[in-house]
Order: sequence, then C-alpha cells, then structure tokens
Amino acid sequence: MSKDWGLLSFFFIVLLALFFVAGCSAEQVVEDELPVEEEADETGVLIFTADGEEFIREGFVCKDGWALTFEHAYLTLASIAAFQTDPPFDTDRGWEFEDLVRVRVDLAGVHTVDLADPEAKPVVVGEATAAPAGRYNALYWELVRAPGGPAEGFAVLLIGTAAKDGKTIEFSLGLDRAVALLGGEYVGDERKGVLTPGGSADVEMTFHFDHLFGDYGEDPDHDINLNALGFGPLAALAVDGVLEVSLSDLEGRLTEEDLDLLVAVMTHLAHVGEGHTLAAFLD
Amino acid sequence: MNKPQCSIVQLSRIGLVSALILLLAPLEVFAHGIDISAMPVNAIEITALYDSGQPMAGGQVAIYAPDEPLEPWLTGTCDEEGRFIFAPDYSRPGLWEIQVRLAGHGDLIRFEVTEAGSISAGEPAGLSLLQKIVMALVVGWGAVGTALFFSRRNS
Repeated sequence: MSKDWGLLSFFFIVLLALFFVAGCSAEQVVEDELPVEEEADETGVLIFTADGEEFIREGFVCKDGWALTFEHAYLTLASIAAFQTDPPFDTDRGWEFEDLVRVRVDLAGVHTVDLADPEAKPVVVGEATAAPAGRYNALYWELVRAPGGPAEGFAVLLIGTAAKDGKTIEFSLGLDRAVALLGGEYVGDERKGVLTPGGSADVEMTFHFDHLFGDYGEDPDHDINLNALGFGPLAALAVDGVLEVSLSDLEGRLTEEDLDLLVAVMTHLAHVGEGHTLAAFLD
Repeated sequence: MNKPQCSIVQLSRIGLVSALILLLAPLEVFAHGIDISAMPVNAIEITALYDSGQPMAGGQVAIYAPDEPLEPWLTGTCDEEGRFIFAPDYSRPGLWEIQVRLAGHGDLIRFEVTEAGSISAGEPAGLSLLQKIVMALVVGWGAVGTALFFSRRNS
C-alpha cells in the first residue's frame, strides 16, 4: 500500500512541476508560433496607424523644464499583425495568447514613419484591404533598427530642439535596440478596431513620449515623472549647443541610474491608445 | 337687473370651499413633486490605481454593454480613492467592459453578466492552455489516488 502511495505522490509532484514550468514559459515571445490568417466571407479595410500624440506633433515642456519641439520622430515598425481574439486578449495573460486568436491580419514589410509630421494625426502605416470583419482587440508589432533611410540603424530617432532659460540645444537622440510589443484592446476616447463588412476600421500603435521625458504639467511625484529620464541628463552632454547621441554610446556617459531609466523607457513607450503593452527586447 | 354679482362674502365662501378641497386632496396634485424610492441592487465597485498604488482620482469611467461596443452605456468619474460604483443592466448578458482613463493613461477590464443575470469574472489571467490541461490532470490524479486509497481500505 505504501508503495502505491509513493508512486501516486511521485506522479502528483511531477504534474505540479509541469504546471509551474508551463506558467514560467508564458513570458516568452511567441511571434514565430502565431497562427495563420483565417478565411472569412465578409471583409473590410483594416488600417494600421501610428501616433505620437500632441506631445510629438506640437512639442511639450518636459519634467525638468526643458521645452522640447520635434522636427522628426522616426520610428521603424515591422512584423505588424492585428488579431481578433476570443475571449479578448488582456496583457495580464502574458505573451502566450495563440489559443485565443480567431483571426490574424498581417501588415507585411518594414515601415519607417515620422510621427512629428503635423499633418499626420495619426500616421497611416499601411492597410489590409480584405480583412475579415470583426473586432480586432490585440496588436503585435516590433520596433526594429531601420535598414536604411534617414533613421538607418535606429528603432527610434528623435531630432529636435530643446530650450530652457535662454539656452538652446539641437538634439538627435537615437534608440538602437529592437523591441517586441503586444497590446490588447484600444483604450481611448473612441473605440477602434471594430470592422464591419464593407467598412473600414483602424488599429493604432501609440507612443507616449512623456514616458521618456516626463511632463512638467504633472506633479513631480506622479508616476509619469518618477519613471521618466527628463532632458536634463542629456542636456549635460551637449557640446556647443549640439547633442547627437544614441543609446549604445550613452553607457558611461549617463549615470547608471539614468541609463537604466532610458533603457526601461523603451519597454513602456508603446501603447495601444492609452492601454499598456507587453514589451521584450529582441537583442 | 339680473347682472351677476360677486360679493366679498361669496368670494370668501368660494375660497373656503376651495381651501377645504385642496386640504382633503392627496399630496400628488402638487406640481414638481418628487418621489424617491430606494431598493438594494447587485452593484459593482471598481477601484482604479496607478501601478504605484496612487488612486486615479477623477478618472473618467466609460462602461460598454456587450451588444453596443462603440457607445458607452454609462459614463462617470472615479472618486478621490479611485472608486466607482454602478449596477449593470442584468438583462443584457455577455462581456461588459469598463474603461478608466485619466490624463492620457488608462486601462480596461471586463466582467460577464450571465444569462441567469449574475456576474462572473472573466477568464483567469495568466493561465495558459497547457497550464489548464496540466491542472485538469492533477485534479484527475488526485481523484484516482483517493479512489485507490478507499478501495484498498475496503478490501
């Protein structure tokens, strides 16, 4: 009898171990395993957009009082895919969501967009003209280093002017690490992603640059400012009113704390509207 | 002269009768009356906090019914503690959505109103299909073990 109990206990422990291993594996990036697009009789136009909001189009005063305006805000996007999921995907679930996917629509190619364009509210990245009708409530994309063009080598390249107390700095800040991003339903003052047969709908990749620089209009103790770098630490590196830096060459030039903040910002820059995304560095 | 006359006495008599009628009439005849009733309902209380634990005081709440995803069924504002209380329409079963936003930041949660008119939480977050299968197997093994234990005792 004790032998049977030992055997049963052994299997029980093995199964429990499997359970926890399965839980840990849910944090991995799964872009290579995503299911293929399903067939559908009724279709519409699904428009993929990107938005940097007024912060980028109009400029803003960051947490340490520098007034920032942006001539260009280049972002390079790739591996973009929108999903209809049921039950609706929630980022609390983690990366593993393929069992929820009912429909997948891909936007092929690598796309560099300029979010500082004042006419782009938001920027149209591309569209799928025969997307199955339904509710697109999950969005995957990657920020990758641009293979060419004005932002070559950078996933994010911000070019602009910073001004404070009569001092002006012309800056170019490049972020050169690739990031995978996965978000759920659009959160905002309107609903997005609901595609009716014969109609059109848009899904939006949103970028919050106040997460990078902070917002002077918010309380200094507000989350948005506590977790933001600001511009002051970068301004200290400017020479003769010019700052031209990339993330990879800031090591040793910024304090370790500030560098950690800047790296972390790359993982919480992207949203779907105001909804947060999962983020993981690809390199 | 058959000219009608209306004396002060007549007017007083008419006024007295009118006053008696008014006094005897039910209160509902007054214009602008207000009738407030109260009854207990099954309500949902949400609490919206930033990651730091700071309440989203004044957060803008929008609640969407399952059969009308594009227009909010109810809007409101969180109190100083980030709380908002409402009772959904239990005659509209399906997945309801609650969106809370403030100053460019927001989130969305869901709950389900069942056909029976009760509320159930959505799918537990963080459990993958593999985890569910393994969990089912663990429960199954537990049942088998229990059955074996009692069958041995009986024999």
